[in-house]
Amino acid sequence: MDVIQVSGLSKSYGALQAVKNVSFNVAEGSVFGLLGPNGAGKTTTMECMIGLKNRSAGNITVLGLDPEKHRHQLFSDVGVQLQETVYQSAAKVFELCQLFTSMYEEPLDYKSLLERFDLGSKAKSSIGSLSGGQRQKLAIVLALIANPRILFLDELTTGLDPGARREIWIYIEQLQREGRTVIMTTHYMEEASLLCDEICLINRGEIVAQGTVDEVIAQAQIDLVITFETDSEVTPLLQNLPHIRHMEQHDSFVTIYTCSEETLTNLILKLSAAAISYRKIKITYPELEEAFLKLVNPATKGAVS
Amino acid sequence: MFRTLTIFEFKLHLRNFFTLFFALGFPVMMLLLFGAMYGNEPSSLTGDKGTVDLMLPAYTCMIVAVTGLMSLPLAIANYREQKILKRFMATPIQPLQILVSQVVVNSVTTAAGIAFLLIVAQLVYRVQFFGNVLTTLMAFLLVVISIFSLGLVIAGVTPNARAATSLAFIIYFPMLFLSGASIPLYIMPKGMVVVSNFLPLTYGVRLLSGVWLGGHLLDYGLELAVLVGITLLCVGLSTRFFKWE
Repeated sequence: MDVIQVSGLSKSYGALQAVKNVSFNVAEGSVFGLLGPNGAGKTTTMECMIGLKNRSAGNITVLGLDPEKHRHQLFSDVGVQLQETVYQSAAKVFELCQLFTSMYEEPLDYKSLLERFDLGSKAKSSIGSLSGGQRQKLAIVLALIANPRILFLDELTTGLDPGARREIWIYIEQLQREGRTVIMTTHYMEEASLLCDEICLINRGEIVAQGTVDEVIAQAQIDLVITFETDSEVTPLLQNLPHIRHMEQHDSFVTIYTCSEETLTNLILKLSAAAISYRKIKITYPELEEAFLKLVNPATKGAVS
Repeated sequence: MFRTLTIFEFKLHLRNFFTLFFALGFPVMMLLLFGAMYGNEPSSLTGDKGTVDLMLPAYTCMIVAVTGLMSLPLAIANYREQKILKRFMATPIQPLQILVSQVVVNSVTTAAGIAFLLIVAQLVYRVQFFGNVLTTLMAFLLVVISIFSLGLVIAGVTPNARAATSLAFIIYFPMLFLSGASIPLYIMPKGMVVVSNFLPLTYGVRLLSGVWLGGHLLDYGLELAVLVGITLLCVGLSTRFFKWE
């Protein structure tokens, strides 16, 4: 079941069209990633879904409701972490938690949430004394106090060190296992590959690719790279294999760019038939990051360049 | 929810040294400074009132100026810049409740500052009160409402916290020194008195001093009209131009 439907969403700020005709659905219990370079329209799209911004055109349904008209009904089912929020540095963690607890009719117990996010010992600390990672974990705790079915996380891990980011990833996986739907924006392709069931890649306000991570990578049509070492001159022998786009040999090092995995089988058969010995054979598949770069800026040729 | 929010805001307020100093400490310092210079001996020139008796109502306006023109707008401007207002908009809380809780917190601080000032004035100088309590409270309420609404305009129209701070300082300091709130206008050169006529707080000081010292509300028609006018104008401006983000 889809908990969110966005169709034909557009948002303009005066003459600037920040989001153009964006459509996607988010399945219940999935982790959905909105990806794109800075200024692509990710945050605007997300804020239209929460009802913090009024759309210029299109339709949005969140849990069957229009966020623009039924913002207040949605609040207890939707937890939000906003990219730019800086909580009051003089406030103490437990005070902020109590404030959010007072806003909801059936809040989750903030003390156990703090324990779960490893902030139990920080309850009496001021927000100003928390590390970046701790602040982001607190942002999740505050979003979770409502016990929401859907969580919106806007660049939750930006600026965190690798250790803190990995810690957050584990928490996001846990949230999904609890049955919550997560909509996240991120700049980190590694993070999106690991966490997201489905992604939507936006550039200049428009969708350039969407689907599972593998589907988006496939859409970018980036060559696979096969490398191996051999003592023979193999270029003439292999040149006519199907699917190969380009091949190079420097001394014993051979690099083949191909658009099909079959090349690997064909290559090994051909080398064996010719009794040519080879070693260190390796196939490299394109990562989401290369697909991202190619789809966002088609002038970049991904792995080939 | 509103109660928790207001208590929360109040705790944060108490952790802000700047506000506490200017709302509680500074007026008492001024009182003691001028009291030490002039004393509070009744003088025939002033109708058997001491200098401190005369200055005390003005000092209460000094407190309203700091809570209404500095503390209130800066807190709101910061909340907007730090996207706290926006974050609260994604909760069941009404953003207006945040503004109201700020007004409540600053009103309580104003009352506390005045109470402290009056206690010190009473203990040290045995001040006298010549007015009618109800009339004085009404005049005081009008001063608070007009100055706070001016503060809401500062909070509402400035693009960021830095601009709000600059604007608040530009408005607050002239009013502090040129409205008669801290330094009596009669010792000022003529030019300054002319300037003071353009400062809203001047009318607050005149009205409050007048009724405090035994005058009737209706003797201060101009002051009442200016303060009510400022309130209407500022409420209109902030309703029209207030930016939540």
